[in-house]
Amino acid sequence: MPVLSIAVGSDPAPINDNWVRLADGAAPNATDRVIVPFARLKGGDNQIFGAAAVGVELGGADQVEDLKPWLDRLSIVVLRFATFKDGRLFTSARMLRQRLGFKGDVRAAGDFLPDQTAFLLRTGVSSLEVSDTFPVDAAASSARAYSVRYQHAVDGLPAAYDERHAP
Amino acid sequence: MYIYDKFDQTIVRERVAEFRGQVQRRLAGELSEDQFRPLRLMNGLYLQLHAYMLRVAIPYGTMSSAQLKKLAYIAQTYDRGYGHFTTRQNIQYNWIKLEQVPDLLNDLAEVQLHGIQTSGNCIRNVTADQFSGVAGDEIEDPRIVSEAVRQWSTFHPEFSFLPRKFKIAVNGAARDRAAIQFHDIGIQVVRGPEGDVGYAIYAGGGMGRTPVVAPLIRAFLPKAELLSYLEAILRVYNRHGRRDNIYKARIKILVREIGAEEFTRQVEAEWALLRNEGVNLPEAEMSRIQKFFAPPPYEKIAAPVVAFEQARASNPAFARWVETNVHTHKVPGYGVVTISLKPVGGIPGDATAEQMSQIADLAEKYSFAEVRVTHVQNLVLPNVKQADLFAVWQQLGKIGFADANLGLIGDIIACPGLDYCALANARSIPVAQQISERFRTPERMKEIGPLQIKISGCINACGHHHAGHIGILGVERAGEELYQITLGGAGDETASIGELLGPGFKGDQVVDAVEKIVNTYIELRQPGEEFLAAYRRVGKAPFKERLYASA
Repeated sequence: MPVLSIAVGSDPAPINDNWVRLADGAAPNATDRVIVPFARLKGGDNQIFGAAAVGVELGGADQVEDLKPWLDRLSIVVLRFATFKDGRLFTSARMLRQRLGFKGDVRAAGDFLPDQTAFLLRTGVSSLEVSDTFPVDAAASSARAYSVRYQHAVDGLPAAYDERHAP
Repeated sequence: MYIYDKFDQTIVRERVAEFRGQVQRRLAGELSEDQFRPLRLMNGLYLQLHAYMLRVAIPYGTMSSAQLKKLAYIAQTYDRGYGHFTTRQNIQYNWIKLEQVPDLLNDLAEVQLHGIQTSGNCIRNVTADQFSGVAGDEIEDPRIVSEAVRQWSTFHPEFSFLPRKFKIAVNGAARDRAAIQFHDIGIQVVRGPEGDVGYAIYAGGGMGRTPVVAPLIRAFLPKAELLSYLEAILRVYNRHGRRDNIYKARIKILVREIGAEEFTRQVEAEWALLRNEGVNLPEAEMSRIQKFFAPPPYEKIAAPVVAFEQARASNPAFARWVETNVHTHKVPGYGVVTISLKPVGGIPGDATAEQMSQIADLAEKYSFAEVRVTHVQNLVLPNVKQADLFAVWQQLGKIGFADANLGLIGDIIACPGLDYCALANARSIPVAQQISERFRTPERMKEIGPLQIKISGCINACGHHHAGHIGILGVERAGEELYQITLGGAGDETASIGELLGPGFKGDQVVDAVEKIVNTYIELRQPGEEFLAAYRRVGKAPFKERLYASA
């Protein structure tokens, strides 16, 4: 599936970073960059770390704090939206960045809306896994929609109150 | 009141532009109704029985006369010449055309109004005591913290896709006029042990099909820490609130399922970390907001105001209106006027463009150009000199809004019901109209005394029936509208949920049933005892007996 990188101040851009989903029970090649379900990490399967790079996929019900034992060995965390309504993943993204200090790629996948891109960006999501028909323009508009914010978030941008009281 | 600076204005302008783009995609066929639905619902646009309905936020119920004039203009230009003030201190327009919504929002933005977060599973318009800043029993104007919460909650990156809608209310006075214990979060301004101002926090209240009076989860929160504490509550709810069943998704169900104690423990644990993560509002911003709510330049007025006292003495109708609809102002020589939008036989909360415009003029001339909306669906002129009350009353009479029924049986809350709403099971408005007709005379209303009737057309309880002294709930049984009656609800600081009396009544029997309840109360009350107090003393038995005796 196509992947778009998203970042503050630039439009979503296609990237090709060769992540592959590792089949259940399969051992990775040393040259593969593999993403596994959270259950496989929790199952204590250490052979996956024989891959070139390792990532994990979480759903809305997964608690990000539980990633702690593996976090420094992970290069990507995929947050899968079973439905765009599953706002738990915005909390997961923000906590990954702010509470757990994760510096790798945080990728949204699944049923999110292009119009949610602004929220995804603000909570620390850095790439989107999308379908071939995904309206990139709508995601780009969402990312550009607001030049002012009322809260601090992961993007590090000033809130309105910072700008109001800037010396 | 709060006035936008360039930052606030930019956000609202950018929201209009974003929504214009979304509407264009819909009209161009790029979005199906299913895809467009979540987008329009984030901006207060519903598809109702007959047309689109747009809900416009009036933050914590305070607006300027210029804003009210614009609301009148919107009613005239984009609707059928009227609007409906709601129990969330908002206004709804019921006959809106989709293709006109972007221009409508653009017009609203000119006066710093919008439809942001008036629907959807997000933090909704914050509500507050309609007597903020003018009531004598206030610790601090609740609109200061309301405005801070409004800004914090607008497009919150983490909390815009909650399990369900989320409502916050703030009260700053000893009397609770904001029904805070029926909200997802209720904030009560209090004084701490050292006399410093802070907040008591209630969480997990609500109405709907599972009415709950919110438990107190923190007795005192220092002022500076409010936003991090709210964020902790929202985070616990966002992560752990139920998403498998829309009817169990409100925070009240989470609090009930894990218990208030465990919920509080989780919030406190989250807060211990969050409070150091840059969420709290800087002191400088809080004082900036506070300055907007400084008292207007009141005159020093010597009591008694002779002309006012004379008018009262010589005109019984005026005297009655002053007694019911004018609340004591904290400044001598002024009064707080509540304009009843409940004329006999009228639709509760409805106002025409002409009426809105006239009220805006009155506010400009007599009340420092400020108007409030109450959660009881009335409007307030908060700062009227006693010397001007007679003129205001006369003007209100000309537009049909001089009814002296505030807090009395004619002052009914009713949701739009089956006349407009796609969710309703039964009509609410005709029931309200019939009741107000039956008890139309001032003498009869006065005889009955304070009595709040609240009517909902379905179990979602938008008409607050659970909190009505007499609550009426419309349901549908075998294709017929049926009305259940509850007694003893209250939305004030003694919050309680009404108890169901028995089997429901057909539409044409409801008014008779209400009259039987009223007559029973009058017979059994002790001298000076109001309806709610009497009900709490005797319970439902005598009412039930009377109501179902002949059946």
